[in-house]
Amino acid sequence: MAEILSMLRTSKRKGRLLEIVVMAVTVALVAAFSIAVDGFATPGNLEIILSNSASLVILGCGMAVVIISRGLDLSLIAVMVAGATTFSIFINADIPVVTALVLTVAAMAMVGLANAWLIAYVEIPAMLATLASAMAVTGFFRFAILRGEFLLLLSKDNPAVIFLSGDIVPGLPTPVALMVAALIVTWVLLRGTAAGRTIYAMGDNFQAARLTGLPVRTTTIVVYVFAAMMALCAGLVTSAASGAVDFRTVTNGTLLFEVVLVVVLGGIPLRGGRGGVWNIVIGVALIAVLRNGMTLMNFTSQTQDVLKGLVLMVAIVADNYLNPRDTETDAVGDL
Amino acid sequence: MSRQPIISLENVTKSYGGINALEDANFELYPGEIHALAGENGAGKSTLCKLIAGVIAPSAGTLRINGEVVKFSAPKDASRHGISMVYQETSLVPQLTVAQNMVLGRESAFNSVRKVRNSARQVLQRLNFKVDPSQLAGTLSTAKRQMVEIARAVLNQARVIILDEPTAALTPEETDHLFDLMRTLQADGVAMIFISHALEEALNHSDRISVLRNGRLMVTGEASAFDRKRLIHHMIGEELNERLHVPRAPHAVRSALPVLRVENIRMGAMVNNMSFSIFPGQITGIAGLIGSGRSEVAKVIMGHTKRNFGGGRIWLDGREVRYSLPAQAVADGIAYVSEDRKLDGFFDTLNVSENIGLGWLAKFGRRRVLAPLQKMRALSREWEGKLSIRSIGKDQSVLYLSGGNQQKVVIAKSLVQEPRLVIFDEPTRGVDVGAIAEIRQIVRQFAESGAGVILISSYLPEILDLSDRILVAKSGTIVAEFARADATAEKILHAAIH
Repeated sequence: MAEILSMLRTSKRKGRLLEIVVMAVTVALVAAFSIAVDGFATPGNLEIILSNSASLVILGCGMAVVIISRGLDLSLIAVMVAGATTFSIFINADIPVVTALVLTVAAMAMVGLANAWLIAYVEIPAMLATLASAMAVTGFFRFAILRGEFLLLLSKDNPAVIFLSGDIVPGLPTPVALMVAALIVTWVLLRGTAAGRTIYAMGDNFQAARLTGLPVRTTTIVVYVFAAMMALCAGLVTSAASGAVDFRTVTNGTLLFEVVLVVVLGGIPLRGGRGGVWNIVIGVALIAVLRNGMTLMNFTSQTQDVLKGLVLMVAIVADNYLNPRDTETDAVGDL
Repeated sequence: MSRQPIISLENVTKSYGGINALEDANFELYPGEIHALAGENGAGKSTLCKLIAGVIAPSAGTLRINGEVVKFSAPKDASRHGISMVYQETSLVPQLTVAQNMVLGRESAFNSVRKVRNSARQVLQRLNFKVDPSQLAGTLSTAKRQMVEIARAVLNQARVIILDEPTAALTPEETDHLFDLMRTLQADGVAMIFISHALEEALNHSDRISVLRNGRLMVTGEASAFDRKRLIHHMIGEELNERLHVPRAPHAVRSALPVLRVENIRMGAMVNNMSFSIFPGQITGIAGLIGSGRSEVAKVIMGHTKRNFGGGRIWLDGREVRYSLPAQAVADGIAYVSEDRKLDGFFDTLNVSENIGLGWLAKFGRRRVLAPLQKMRALSREWEGKLSIRSIGKDQSVLYLSGGNQQKVVIAKSLVQEPRLVIFDEPTRGVDVGAIAEIRQIVRQFAESGAGVILISSYLPEILDLSDRILVAKSGTIVAEFARADATAEKILHAAIH
């Protein structure tokens, strides 16, 4: 066992071990829940797990791209809710769906642009820039649009709401289809485009990326606008499913925490430079199974939070053990 | 010497992931001895020192102090035994004063500022250092910082002081002062190990010399038993020296139009009215001491450094330019090969082909949407062949290549952009001797293709071997210019210091 561990520790792709551990835990949980919990291993429940994961996966795609570029987007959930609100207000005012969508996309892209401008041009740390924009956006929408309310109800018979909460083709719910689409788009962005290569380069060594002459500013814009678009997409899916936009999603902060959790659990290090869509899938799978199983076992949401917190801690400790940072790591190549 | 050694290593091996950085080394250090370590980069000198200083632990073998077997798990264990290490990159805390730095890690729970300052002053005076103990360490020059580190070791009553390339950043006067001091300490019975790349220093200032090669301690002997030739022979094992120093054939094509002209560039305290011109097809060497503002001006030209920019004008092919981002400079055909490849040269989680491919992508800036992986891979293979980059596996991260191959990757990453002007900043630092010859050849060939080359190097023989024209920088200004035929090491040094 010790030999295998030390072999894995010196192997090139150290991150892989965390992925394997997370996958093994997921499989173990699935097995345990299947035996212990009635109604877990049924096709109906599988569909519930998938549908419930859709928005988390879409948000995870946005956050993963940001984190790989060694950034952080704390405004993700604020944009998600703000986007859903904007869209809802437009369709409640009977503006045609396509026009409403175009206007909403443009508005949320502006938030992404503002983030990117603060980070790439004003050179403010991503965490502070996105924290500020998250507060500004949330405050603006609650004050100016919702007049201090938390909830905005959607009309159930609006065609857009019916489309988003229904099946795109019989048997395939729209959220699941959008989730798959988000994964494919993210994969293409990261693997096939010049911006994607630059994202990895920036996460690996930002100064080197800059000195090599890579378009780091343009890429930062791509990254944060992409994250805002993913957030908007997740917002539409979530609000259509629940029939309301709920600003408490932003203010209680659990969802933002969960998105970061998913990305880190999946094996994307917070220092960036590594990871891909596969890591998002792995991270969400564990959290979705855990959440679903605990709900079926009637755990309260507080208990669930405690357990999720513990899972994150274990993951971080495991990551730290598998990717130790010490003088020897620093000295590789300079013996 | 029949006395008992203060330090002895018996069959010590240190390996990193299967590679032996130091193999089966037997080493002894006697009280009051100055012991020089010679060897190429990567020969294991630093590893040996770090083992003695407790920074790293040996994989096998025993370490004895005064005959007793010891096991260090941290540098503080070594310092408890009176072993201090003075690092190349000095390890002072810049926000603390000299005196605070000297007692760092040994403070009592309550410190009287005056007492700390007085004890620091005493030591500094005894060693004849002109350093104010209440000055902030961050404001000191490299040489003075090093002095403070030595003073700290003395204050801690070190019996063994390890100096890692102590003279690399010093002027000749400062170097002389350092060796005088070392002799004073020697008289007090302090044993010293020093690493140096200047073979003369080892030959002239040490009692004994040990030569390492490829992680093996080849030979240890009295300094008087060595000469330059014998040292080099032990260091590289063959007469590689001839291959290294191929003087460039006189090559003074100077077209009327400079490719780059820089006038009165100022930046903070580092660059002070720097002006020069670079001509195509020529290698323009910029000599000078560390801190003379050469890398800084290069980074200003590239648009990498903007803070504290104090004015000045830059022309590229007669057109005035001012870049706010290196991407713009790269688009105009200027490339910068960093002096510190680990800090801002290569991408360490990526492989060779991804690194070179990124250089090629950068040429297009934001005009390119898709990344053609096949083409990038083919291009990278082509350049790996051109620069004979040897990597172990296709997916091998650049981090695990040798220093020479890493440097070639960084160079290929820039040359793949087909630039018209390349700034090579210390292109052979931390590179093994074989690769040094190859990299110099690459620089020469590139200049012969008609492009402009700026060569920044603190190693005079390199400047003399490669340059067609030599500029000398001192405190942020160009103070002298020599044609290659008139330049000598003495003239350049004189201009750089006085």
